[in-house]
Amino acid sequence: MLESLTSLAYGFNIALQPQNLFYCFIGVTMGTLVGVLPGIGPTATIALLLPATFSLNPISAIIMLSGICYGAMYGGSTTSILLNIPGEASSVVTCFDGYQMARQGRAGAALGISAFASFIAGTFSIFGLILLAPTLANFALRFGPPEYFALMVMGLTVVAYLARKSMAKALMMAVVGILLGCIGLDPITATPRFTFGMLELADGIGIAPVVMGLFGIAEVLENLGVLRKTEVFAEKIKGLFPNREDWKRSIGPITRGSLLGFFLGLLPGVGAIVPQFLSYALEKKLSRRPERFGNGAIEGVASPEACNNAAVGGTFIPLLSLGIPSTAMTAILLGALMIYGLTPGPLLIKNSPDLFWGVIASMYIGNLMLLILNLPLIPLWVRVLKIPYSYLSCFIILFCLIGAYSLNNSTTDIYIAAIFSLIGLLMKKFQYEPAPLVLAFVLGPLLETALRRSLIQSDGSLLIFLQRPISAAFIVFSIVVLAAPLFSQIRLGRGLSEED
Amino acid sequence: MKRIKTIAAGAGALFWVAAGLLASYGATRLGLGSVTEPGAGFIFFWSGVILVFLSLIVFAESIRSPADTAREMGEMNWAKIALVLLSLLLYAFFLERLGFILTTFVLVTFLLGCIEDINWFRSLGVASAAALASYAIFELWLKIRLPKGFFGF
Repeated sequence: MLESLTSLAYGFNIALQPQNLFYCFIGVTMGTLVGVLPGIGPTATIALLLPATFSLNPISAIIMLSGICYGAMYGGSTTSILLNIPGEASSVVTCFDGYQMARQGRAGAALGISAFASFIAGTFSIFGLILLAPTLANFALRFGPPEYFALMVMGLTVVAYLARKSMAKALMMAVVGILLGCIGLDPITATPRFTFGMLELADGIGIAPVVMGLFGIAEVLENLGVLRKTEVFAEKIKGLFPNREDWKRSIGPITRGSLLGFFLGLLPGVGAIVPQFLSYALEKKLSRRPERFGNGAIEGVASPEACNNAAVGGTFIPLLSLGIPSTAMTAILLGALMIYGLTPGPLLIKNSPDLFWGVIASMYIGNLMLLILNLPLIPLWVRVLKIPYSYLSCFIILFCLIGAYSLNNSTTDIYIAAIFSLIGLLMKKFQYEPAPLVLAFVLGPLLETALRRSLIQSDGSLLIFLQRPISAAFIVFSIVVLAAPLFSQIRLGRGLSEED
Repeated sequence: MKRIKTIAAGAGALFWVAAGLLASYGATRLGLGSVTEPGAGFIFFWSGVILVFLSLIVFAESIRSPADTAREMGEMNWAKIALVLLSLLLYAFFLERLGFILTTFVLVTFLLGCIEDINWFRSLGVASAAALASYAIFELWLKIRLPKGFFGF
């Protein structure tokens, strides 16, 4: 513990350097802006700005890119509360009560509690990160290929289990993600696989064009021809500081939301979206007057907002301690670490303590900046939201195209983004969820290498996954998760989506 | 309408059956190796097999309850979607030939004028500003290399 605090002090020493403070500020401001704008998310923004960070030192670059991740969570809630349109997928739940509060003249309190809840949860998750990441990294030194394989399988099954529609479809998308992720040269024999003679595919399909297509452009395509009336909350926003009664109602939900978000965020693949729904449902169940939910209950804003922020902190733990990305956003950060010449995994904390502790300290500073800056900047975000969607959609497409192109300077990536935008649109229409596809796409190559190494190590025996206690625990958990729907009619994710 | 939905959802599932079969077939040509030493096609083969199995489950689900498996398709503006997709493909084709500024100007003009039905005068103005501003931000400020084309910009 004392060692962690000493290291944290060292981290603050790095994060408080003027250059790092500047990039932290840029990151959180950009994050808030993209969080406010519906259609363009932190993943697309990180991909877009990544090439611009190549000339920076890695610590400043990662500080800025992480700032985008958690800054977007603050921005997303503004759009949800004022417009009833989630700025981010992870702010959907905030619309339910946040917008109702705004309609009742309590937009200020909703925005205020959402900012304070985000800050408290952000702080909590940073301390969780400080305590857990080094411990987990030490523990992960015992991990061999079977453990990594079993952990990734567990992540994929949990994502499928938490899918809000058909679990079979979610598992299908995970398999499709593995297939797409493994396209390119074979990691062991260097045989080209499904590249159809195209040199551009030898390194595989990039995550950036896939994400730009599936999320950014597909969203615009879905809204083509649909008249999107943006009724921005026009009244002057006042009373940003929640009153005593608001705090009394919110402190419990913020605590529970923070805990739930952080621990679910730890699981590979869960991200920030599903925990938010869970926290809302939990608060509704615990409430003595559940009928208030959906009609402007402040608990319905406080808990999900705490939850999505804590979850983002949670997703950094598998990334920094195991080298396993749990969302598309952290996958691009993983790519960034590798571009900067760092090796993500259990040794990252030991080999690059300046990066690890510097980034963690910057997250705390960034959260503080967001709390101080976010509320006064709300009038500016409101003005941004008044830009008609017809213009906004063109800019979203343009930014997605630049983001897809700029990482590799390849027009093939633009073709890929266009193809995936159509796939993303059809997936929306046929109700296939993109999250398992993206996670499996990212984990596919790691999963394949771990599987093949395990089989080589065990001389072809699949029992290796059950003979080693850690991997056996992960596999048994995965089997339980897969089998659970056979014994219960109500699956967690499905139950929640129907209820709320 | 229910019948159309069933057909659409069923066709979607069957598409993935075909994709799974193709992946498995392609994998056999890459070489599956053995369990002791998996080959380049090993993961593709087994993923393909699992995909076929799951697609058949989804196919059965789509017949049982079509309402859960596909949303309304009629409300989409497919003509506009096709035009946008075509414009993106053309953008990729011309980007390195004509350069970033010119191609972006044409794309944004097209998206605003033809797709969003904004008047041409305004579309041309916004497109010029968007092309120049994005060039200034990404190429000049952020030093992201954007293609120049044979006009040199």
